[in-house]
Formats: sequence, C-alpha cells, structure tokens
Amino acid sequence: MSGRTLRFRLAGINNQNFLMRDEETGTWWQQVSGKAISGPLKGQTLEPVSSDELTFGLWKQESPAGQVLAPVPAYEKKYEDNWEPEVQKLPTVIDFPGSGLESRDVVIGIEAGGQSRAYPLAALSAQAPTQDRLGPAPVLLAMGPDGKSVRAFLSRIDGADVQFFRKSGTSDWMLIDAASASEWNFQGCAVAGPATGKCLQRLTALKDYWFDWRNYHPDTSVYRH
Amino acid sequence: MNPTIPARPHNGRSNLLPGLVFAVLVLTGLGFFFIPAVVIRPFSYQSPRALTLAMAVGQQAPLWTVVIAGLCLVLTLLLWRRISNWKKALLVLGMVLVSASAAMSRVDYFEWMFHPVAAPGFTSAEQAKLDAAQMVMAVRFGTDARAYPIRAMAYHHVVNDVVAGVPIAVTY
Repeated sequence: MSGRTLRFRLAGINNQNFLMRDEETGTWWQQVSGKAISGPLKGQTLEPVSSDELTFGLWKQESPAGQVLAPVPAYEKKYEDNWEPEVQKLPTVIDFPGSGLESRDVVIGIEAGGQSRAYPLAALSAQAPTQDRLGPAPVLLAMGPDGKSVRAFLSRIDGADVQFFRKSGTSDWMLIDAASASEWNFQGCAVAGPATGKCLQRLTALKDYWFDWRNYHPDTSVYRH
Repeated sequence: MNPTIPARPHNGRSNLLPGLVFAVLVLTGLGFFFIPAVVIRPFSYQSPRALTLAMAVGQQAPLWTVVIAGLCLVLTLLLWRRISNWKKALLVLGMVLVSASAAMSRVDYFEWMFHPVAAPGFTSAEQAKLDAAQMVMAVRFGTDARAYPIRAMAYHHVVNDVVAGVPIAVTY
C-alpha cells in the first residue's frame, strides 16, 4: 500500500466474510474487496493480484517448478479435508431470495464490460465451454480437464469476438476457435494452428457463495443457460 | 463511656460520587471489549452501522481500556481505607473486570481458533504431499508460481507472502 508493506492478520468477521487488520497501522480491511473500511487507511483499496483456484494436479502440470505452501506442523492436524462440505451446511446470516439460487450455491463471479454476473458452478459443463456476453465483453468460461477448475477469458482474438468449442475425439483437453480452428489449452493459449502463440486475456473469476457474491455485487445478474 | 469515634470521619456522601464514577468507568471499560466482541461474532448479522461502531470502538479499546483501568486503580486506592469489606470486594471485582477488558482488547482471539502462519514455508511441486484432486489457490509472477492448498488456507485464512519481490496477502 503506497510503497509500504503491510502484514495482515485475521481480525473478525462481517456477515461471514472475514475482516483482517494490518499490523502496521491497525486499519481493518474487508477480505473479499481488499477495501480499508475502518482506521487510518480507510478508503484505500489493495491492488488485486490475479489468481486461480484449481486442482493441485493441474497446477503441477502447468507449473512443475512451482512452490507449494508447506503445512505448519503445529496446526496441520487441525486442517480439515472436507472444509467446504462442512461450511456448506452452516447457516447464513444474509440471504437474497428470488434469484433461484440457494445462499450457499457456489458461483463463479465475473466482472467484465462494466457488469457483474454469477455463473452457478452447477450450470457449467465439463463438456462444453460457456460462452456469454457481459455488456460489450464476450466471455468464455471453461472447466478444465480435471472437471473442477474453472477459468474465464475474454473471448476475443485480435479484436474480433470468437466462439470456442471443445475439441472432440481426443483425450487431450483442447478448445478450438471457430475463426481459425486453432487449438487452445486451458491456460488460454493457442498451441496449434494459425493462432499458435496467441493467448486470450484472462478474466478474474471469483469462486464464492451466492450470498457473498451478491452482497458485494448488488447489481449482479445470474447466468442462465 | 465516651462514644466511639471512628478513626477517620466516615462520610457516606463523599464516597458515593467516587463510587459511582468507579461503576461507570467499569461499565465503559467492559463496553470497549464487549461492543466489538458482541457485534463481530460469527453466525450473526452485522449491519453496516453496527460494524462501523464496533470497529471504531475496537480500535480505540487498547488505549482507553488501560486509561480506564488506571483511573479505576486511583479510585480504588482513594476509597480503600474508608469503606467496608464488601465494598472493597466490589472494588476488587471492578478492577478484575476492567483489567480483563484491557487484556482482551489487546489480543486477537480470532487467532486462537485460526492460528496465523508466522513465516510461510514452501516445498517443491514434486515433493508436496497433496492429492492431485485437492484444490489450491495459485499465483504467478513471471516465472515464479506458488500454490496455496485450500486445506491449509481454510484454516489459516490469511497468509502474508512475498513472491518475486511482490508482497501479497493470500486470503481464503
């Protein structure tokens, strides 16, 4: 923040999205938005870093030289292997009925073209990528070869909107674009065909519970297929 | 027989005011801890106004609870010699409460449940003991790729790290 490194601690909870406090100034920050909501740095926002939520297997394939956070031995036995199914059962304190979604339905939240939209995880297919449009922005959501990891891209090559399909008749996970029939991998880069070497622009895809996404994106729409 | 003369003049009224001030101070000191603690509790709804108040009080609490505990101590010393034993017991109880409030305002009890990572350690992708199907959060800066297993992140919730010279806070 402004050239200063802050260290964050878990400090509390706000409608089931946690609050963190920095050690340096004592400012309180909202986890999901990175906004300072109380204290000396109130009004500031942390710069978001592009990140991914994917399976370890897929990540390792893509980043064989990468590093993995080691468990802290003293606390490792407290790590829960089925945290998500357990949290799924917990009650919520804010609800937004009328959307057709349950509060704890998992959605992929996308912001593009000045709009935000929630894509229910259950509506995404492993067989075919999801093509959509958010305002002027063509959006492509792809579920990876592991059937669990989801990535979003701007579905545009050299300024032209393009449709994508899953390559069929092969065990390799590949997308084919309708314009040049090039093959694209899950990182959004063309690896065969005329477009080889080009990469699609990544969009931030936040995996979140519907109630939390809706709480911080009051104008969000919900994707229906 | 001469009537017994108290060692010191025992004037109930002159004790009443400091006693009341003491009581108000104790309640205020407790408020500094309990207002944020009650508002910011899990599984309850935080309205924007309540949250703003709770965070403001919480930020002032470490300073003011100590000031209040100090004032209470002064009052206790002032009143000690002139009051009965049960009132002394009340003063001691008050002192214990404001001291506890001052102590609790300085600790992050959320970290009792979810301990922080003091200094994150890493293993290579090859050596990591993780199933292929387990989810990780991943970042990449240039050629530096790092994965944070959800299993660990769901417990620690926040990890402060530096990747390729960039300080980041990974949160889950």
